[in-house]
Amino acid sequence: MSILRVENAEARYEGNVIFENLCLDVIKGKITTIIGPNGCGKSTLLKTMGRILKPKFGKVYLQDQDINTLPTQEIAKRLTLLPQNPIAPGELGVEELISYGRYPHRKNISNLTTEDKEKIEWALEITHTLPYRDRPLGSLSGGQRQKVWLAMALAQDTTVLLLDEPTTYLDLAHQLDVLQIVENLNHHHQCTVVMVLHDINHAARFSHEIVGMRDGKIMATGSPHELITADTLKQIFHIDARIMVDPSNGSPVCFGYESALAEEEFVLHKEKENVAT
Amino acid sequence: MLSKPTGFRYIKSLLILIALLITLFYISLTNGTFDLTVSDVLHAFLRINPVPTHDFVLFDLRLPRIVVASLVGLGLGIAGAVIQGVTKNGLADPGILGINAGAGAAIVLFLFFFHEQIGSFSVLMQPLFGLIGGLGAAVIIYLLAWKNGRIDTQRLILTGIAISSGFGALAMYLSLKMKSTDFEMATLWSMGSVYNANWQSIFAMLPWFILLIPIYRKSYLLDLFQLEESSLKSLGVSLEKEKAILLLSSIGLVSACVSVSGGIGFIGLMAPHIAKQLVGLRHRYIIPICGLIGMTLVVGSDFIAKNLFPAEISVGIVISIIGVPYFLYLLLTARS
Repeated sequence: MSILRVENAEARYEGNVIFENLCLDVIKGKITTIIGPNGCGKSTLLKTMGRILKPKFGKVYLQDQDINTLPTQEIAKRLTLLPQNPIAPGELGVEELISYGRYPHRKNISNLTTEDKEKIEWALEITHTLPYRDRPLGSLSGGQRQKVWLAMALAQDTTVLLLDEPTTYLDLAHQLDVLQIVENLNHHHQCTVVMVLHDINHAARFSHEIVGMRDGKIMATGSPHELITADTLKQIFHIDARIMVDPSNGSPVCFGYESALAEEEFVLHKEKENVAT
Repeated sequence: MLSKPTGFRYIKSLLILIALLITLFYISLTNGTFDLTVSDVLHAFLRINPVPTHDFVLFDLRLPRIVVASLVGLGLGIAGAVIQGVTKNGLADPGILGINAGAGAAIVLFLFFFHEQIGSFSVLMQPLFGLIGGLGAAVIIYLLAWKNGRIDTQRLILTGIAISSGFGALAMYLSLKMKSTDFEMATLWSMGSVYNANWQSIFAMLPWFILLIPIYRKSYLLDLFQLEESSLKSLGVSLEKEKAILLLSSIGLVSACVSVSGGIGFIGLMAPHIAKQLVGLRHRYIIPICGLIGMTLVVGSDFIAKNLFPAEISVGIVISIIGVPYFLYLLLTARS
């Protein structure tokens, strides 16, 4: 069942069309990952779904309601988007930042309710950020900070979670840590997750659905096994990938690849030469 | 989630500032070319054997001046915190919204064309013109900063600077063609002074302070404005609506202040920084502290301007003497 639906959407950035006539159904309770080369429009798609960008044409539906007609605060109770590299003042306290996530649920400026406090506590716990709850944001490492931002998004208590490259700039262990938190949320708290990832192996390991984009078009959607294949990866990234199955968890793994661009150019070159002669 | 240390620091700062302000009120009431004792002041206030000369000095000269100075400080300090919060620019100041320049140009225009005709009535009309000019300039800037259905805060600052210098040039051009007495009045006003404060001007500006209510109610939102726009949107903040409410409230407040006091700069710049150093990043604390710091700065500077120089100078000059080094200090620390 679809919880978030994009219908014939067109997005532009300063007059340039990023994508047009794009349709996507996000299945409720699943982790969907969007992959694709730089500039293919995957972040723009995520922002359009999270009403950060308004589509020029087309519609986005959240639980069958047009996102443009819903009050933004109402949407914020159901859907949250964590932007890529979010920023906040370094002096800001961790717990303070996480409490901002309660904004859509608050009615006035009075103190936090018991429910607010419980949700903040839960968010701290689930993201393993309890040890530094009293520290200022600036004193944390990149990985710790990303988990705090994730905690803020979780304090919003939404069923849909949109994450824009949540693992960028993190070391290997922290990348895994963040993705495992996401997996746990999906598994135990029925969160629907849509994220943009660059690492196809992470996408394969942690997603139920993968959406492959190139040049503003969705090239393929499907399970990791359907999508992480030499053929589709060549279509999406223009690479010749070598794929095998990870024996420990059964997910497909790309263990090496060559650029297919050189080969393509060679073919093009040949064609030109043929035309010339 | 009222964390103990900041809450405590807030109460402490609040009490110290109030005590400081009361002291300043007391000194300003009793000192001057005509010194009064505590009992003189108390007698006058409690109406025990009132002395007409004391009444005149207190109620017609000193008290209105202190009240105007306090209100101007309160308004500019709080507007400064809001404008810095919304534009995410720690070096922004209410003057950036073009209000000072707009009000200045309107007052020069008024003195140039109407001063002769209306005569004594003009003292009352001058703040009104200042208000219209200030609001007008702010609205022009606001509209020019509007692009693609949103207010770009960088654009707001840049158009503010451009429009300000435009109005400044207009005021300069007109004042050069003025009679020398009018020119003096215009210059005095543009440097910022509260010397001609009276009860009429106080009643004219007081209603605008109702705008403090929406500002204080939205103070929690100013905390969120420390994040970037996409985070704010994701949190469900109606960004353009809230920005408009906050900026327009500040514009109204500042217009009312500068229409009476003239272009006093630096208060809106300094007060928020001092407040943040005292109570941290929470605007529920920053806003009231900012107001008190603004009041203290203007009342204190006016006392210095009035009494510590051989001839009285404009309060705006005293504030600039304090403000310029502080501004440079902020620039240097911001860079490191």
